[in-house]
Amino acid sequence: MPDSRKTAPSAADAEVAVARLTAMSADLRGCVILDSAGAALAASGPIDVWSEAGRGLLAAADAAAGEPVSHVHVGTEDGEAFAVRADGFALVAAAERFTLAGLLLFDIRAVLRDLARGPNAVPARTEAEAA
Amino acid sequence: MPAKPHRGLLDRVSGYADEASAYLRRRRLTRRPFARVHTPGGRSAACGPETDEGRELFLAASRVIDAARD
Repeated sequence: MPDSRKTAPSAADAEVAVARLTAMSADLRGCVILDSAGAALAASGPIDVWSEAGRGLLAAADAAAGEPVSHVHVGTEDGEAFAVRADGFALVAAAERFTLAGLLLFDIRAVLRDLARGPNAVPARTEAEAA
Repeated sequence: MPAKPHRGLLDRVSGYADEASAYLRRRRLTRRPFARVHTPGGRSAACGPETDEGRELFLAASRVIDAARD
Protein backbone atom coordinates (compact mmCIF):
# COMPACT_ATOMS: atom_id res chain seq x y z
CA MET A 1 0.00 0.00 0.00
CA PRO A 2 1.56 3.31 -1.02
CA ASP A 3 2.31 5.83 1.68
CA SER A 4 -0.03 8.74 0.97
CA ARG A 5 2.02 11.03 3.26
CA LYS A 6 4.82 11.07 0.70
CA THR A 7 2.64 12.87 -1.79
CA ALA A 8 0.35 14.85 0.49
CA PRO A 9 1.72 15.78 3.90
CA SER A 10 -0.46 18.15 5.86
CA ALA A 11 0.29 21.85 5.99
CA ALA A 12 0.93 21.42 9.71
CA ASP A 13 3.68 18.84 9.00
CA ALA A 14 5.33 21.23 6.57
CA GLU A 15 5.07 24.09 9.07
CA VAL A 16 6.79 21.92 11.66
CA ALA A 17 9.53 21.20 9.11
CA VAL A 18 9.99 24.93 8.44
CA ALA A 19 10.14 25.63 12.18
CA ARG A 20 12.67 22.82 12.68
CA LEU A 21 14.95 24.13 9.94
CA THR A 22 14.68 27.67 11.32
CA ALA A 23 15.69 26.39 14.75
CA MET A 24 18.53 24.23 13.40
CA SER A 25 20.17 26.76 11.11
CA ALA A 26 21.29 30.00 12.68
CA ASP A 27 22.10 31.59 9.31
CA LEU A 28 18.71 30.88 7.76
CA ARG A 29 16.67 33.97 6.93
CA GLY A 30 13.60 32.20 5.61
CA CYS A 31 12.39 29.27 3.53
CA VAL A 32 9.47 27.65 1.72
CA ILE A 33 8.59 24.02 1.16
CA LEU A 34 7.00 23.06 -2.15
CA ASP A 35 5.46 19.75 -3.14
CA SER A 36 6.34 17.89 -6.33
CA ALA A 37 3.73 19.89 -8.26
CA GLY A 38 5.24 23.19 -7.12
CA ALA A 39 2.49 24.09 -4.65
CA ALA A 40 3.71 25.77 -1.47
CA LEU A 41 2.99 23.76 1.69
CA ALA A 42 4.51 26.12 4.25
CA ALA A 43 6.78 29.13 4.43
CA SER A 44 8.46 31.23 7.06
CA GLY A 45 6.85 34.41 5.64
CA PRO A 46 4.03 35.39 3.28
CA ILE A 47 3.31 32.14 1.48
CA ASP A 48 2.28 33.68 -1.84
CA VAL A 49 5.51 35.70 -2.05
CA TRP A 50 7.65 32.73 -1.06
CA SER A 51 5.77 30.39 -3.35
CA GLU A 52 6.41 32.54 -6.41
CA ALA A 53 10.03 33.19 -5.47
CA GLY A 54 10.71 29.51 -4.78
CA ARG A 55 9.17 28.29 -8.01
CA GLY A 56 11.08 30.98 -9.89
CA LEU A 57 14.44 29.89 -8.51
CA LEU A 58 13.79 26.23 -9.31
CA ALA A 59 12.64 27.08 -12.84
CA ALA A 60 15.68 29.30 -13.45
CA ALA A 61 18.01 26.61 -12.12
CA ASP A 62 16.40 23.94 -14.32
CA ALA A 63 16.79 26.20 -17.34
CA ALA A 64 20.44 26.90 -16.52
CA ALA A 65 21.26 23.22 -16.03
CA GLY A 66 19.19 22.01 -18.99
CA GLU A 67 17.49 19.43 -16.76
CA PRO A 68 15.80 19.33 -13.33
CA VAL A 69 18.40 20.13 -10.69
CA SER A 70 18.93 18.34 -7.38
CA HIS A 71 20.15 21.52 -5.75
CA VAL A 72 21.32 25.02 -6.56
CA HIS A 73 23.37 27.53 -4.60
CA VAL A 74 23.55 31.21 -5.54
CA GLY A 75 25.63 33.75 -3.66
CA THR A 76 24.99 37.47 -4.04
CA GLU A 77 26.18 40.49 -2.13
CA ASP A 78 22.89 40.58 -0.21
CA GLY A 79 22.82 36.96 0.86
CA GLU A 80 22.68 33.43 -0.44
CA ALA A 81 19.85 31.40 -1.95
CA PHE A 82 19.51 27.62 -1.90
CA ALA A 83 17.06 25.22 -3.46
CA VAL A 84 17.07 21.48 -2.79
CA ARG A 85 14.87 18.76 -4.27
CA ALA A 86 14.64 15.56 -2.25
CA ASP A 87 12.09 12.89 -1.40
CA GLY A 88 9.40 14.42 -3.60
CA PHE A 89 9.64 17.89 -2.10
CA ALA A 90 11.62 21.03 -2.74
CA LEU A 91 12.87 23.50 -0.18
CA VAL A 92 13.99 26.97 -1.19
CA ALA A 93 15.85 29.05 1.39
CA ALA A 94 17.56 32.39 1.85
CA ALA A 95 20.57 32.57 4.16
CA GLU A 96 23.19 34.97 5.39
CA ARG A 97 26.20 35.67 3.16
CA PHE A 98 29.11 33.27 3.78
CA THR A 99 26.92 30.70 5.51
CA LEU A 100 28.33 27.18 5.79
CA ALA A 101 26.67 25.82 2.66
CA GLY A 102 27.41 22.15 3.31
CA LEU A 103 25.89 22.30 6.78
CA LEU A 104 22.77 24.09 5.59
CA LEU A 105 22.31 21.63 2.73
CA PHE A 106 22.64 18.75 5.20
CA ASP A 107 19.99 20.29 7.46
CA ILE A 108 17.64 20.94 4.53
CA ARG A 109 17.94 17.34 3.31
CA ALA A 110 17.36 16.02 6.85
CA VAL A 111 14.21 18.14 7.22
CA LEU A 112 12.86 17.03 3.82
CA ARG A 113 13.60 13.38 4.61
CA ASP A 114 11.74 13.63 7.91
CA LEU A 115 8.84 15.39 6.22
CA ALA A 116 8.60 12.57 3.67
CA ARG A 117 8.76 9.90 6.37
CA GLY A 118 5.91 11.38 8.37
CA PRO A 119 5.45 13.04 11.75
CA ASN A 120 6.01 9.89 13.84
CA ALA A 121 9.44 9.09 12.37
CA VAL A 122 12.54 9.63 14.46
CA PRO A 123 14.29 12.79 13.20
CA ALA A 124 17.31 12.01 11.01
CA ARG A 125 19.62 14.07 13.20
CA THR A 126 18.59 12.13 16.31
CA GLU A 127 19.29 8.85 14.49
CA ALA A 128 22.71 10.09 13.42
CA GLU A 129 23.57 11.23 16.93
CA ALA A 130 22.50 7.88 18.39
CA ALA A 131 24.66 5.91 15.93
CA MET B 1 77.20 51.79 5.78
CA PRO B 2 74.27 52.16 8.24
CA ALA B 3 70.73 52.44 6.82
CA LYS B 4 69.19 55.87 6.81
CA PRO B 5 67.02 56.42 9.90
CA HIS B 6 63.75 56.88 7.96
CA ARG B 7 64.21 53.63 6.01
CA GLY B 8 62.57 51.45 8.70
CA LEU B 9 59.54 53.70 8.88
CA LEU B 10 59.11 53.65 5.09
CA ASP B 11 59.41 49.85 5.04
CA ARG B 12 56.76 49.56 7.73
CA VAL B 13 54.33 51.87 5.92
CA SER B 14 54.95 49.99 2.69
CA GLY B 15 54.27 46.69 4.48
CA TYR B 16 50.96 47.96 5.84
CA ALA B 17 49.95 49.18 2.37
CA ASP B 18 50.74 45.75 0.90
CA GLU B 19 48.67 44.05 3.59
CA ALA B 20 45.73 46.40 2.99
CA SER B 21 45.76 45.89 -0.77
CA ALA B 22 45.96 42.10 -0.33
CA TYR B 23 42.98 42.24 2.06
CA LEU B 24 40.95 44.26 -0.42
CA ARG B 25 41.88 41.86 -3.23
CA ARG B 26 40.79 38.85 -1.15
CA ARG B 27 37.57 40.60 -0.15
CA ARG B 28 36.77 41.40 -3.78
CA LEU B 29 37.29 37.77 -4.78
CA THR B 30 35.20 36.27 -1.97
CA ARG B 31 32.38 38.76 -2.48
CA ARG B 32 32.04 38.02 -6.17
CA PRO B 33 28.55 36.63 -6.89
CA PHE B 34 28.41 33.00 -7.93
CA ALA B 35 25.83 30.41 -8.91
CA ARG B 36 26.23 26.67 -9.13
CA VAL B 37 23.64 24.10 -10.20
CA HIS B 38 23.85 20.39 -9.39
CA THR B 39 21.95 17.62 -11.16
CA PRO B 40 20.87 14.24 -9.76
CA GLY B 41 23.52 12.56 -11.92
CA GLY B 42 26.28 14.32 -10.00
CA ARG B 43 27.02 16.91 -12.65
CA SER B 44 27.54 20.47 -11.48
CA ALA B 45 28.04 23.66 -13.41
CA ALA B 46 28.82 27.26 -12.58
CA CYS B 47 26.55 29.86 -14.16
CA GLY B 48 28.00 33.28 -14.72
CA PRO B 49 25.85 36.41 -14.82
CA GLU B 50 27.04 37.11 -18.37
CA THR B 51 24.74 34.40 -19.81
CA ASP B 52 20.96 34.72 -20.12
CA GLU B 53 20.37 31.65 -17.95
CA GLY B 54 22.83 32.88 -15.34
CA ARG B 55 21.22 36.31 -15.25
CA GLU B 56 17.78 34.76 -14.73
CA LEU B 57 19.22 32.61 -11.96
CA PHE B 58 20.67 35.62 -10.14
CA LEU B 59 17.38 37.52 -10.53
CA ALA B 60 15.42 34.57 -9.16
CA ALA B 61 17.85 34.25 -6.24
CA SER B 62 17.45 37.97 -5.49
CA ARG B 63 13.68 37.49 -5.30
CA VAL B 64 14.17 34.67 -2.79
CA ILE B 65 16.49 36.85 -0.68
CA ASP B 66 14.00 39.71 -0.92
CA ALA B 67 11.18 37.40 0.20
CA ALA B 68 13.08 36.81 3.43
CA ARG B 69 12.95 40.56 4.12
CA ASP B 70 9.14 40.70 3.99
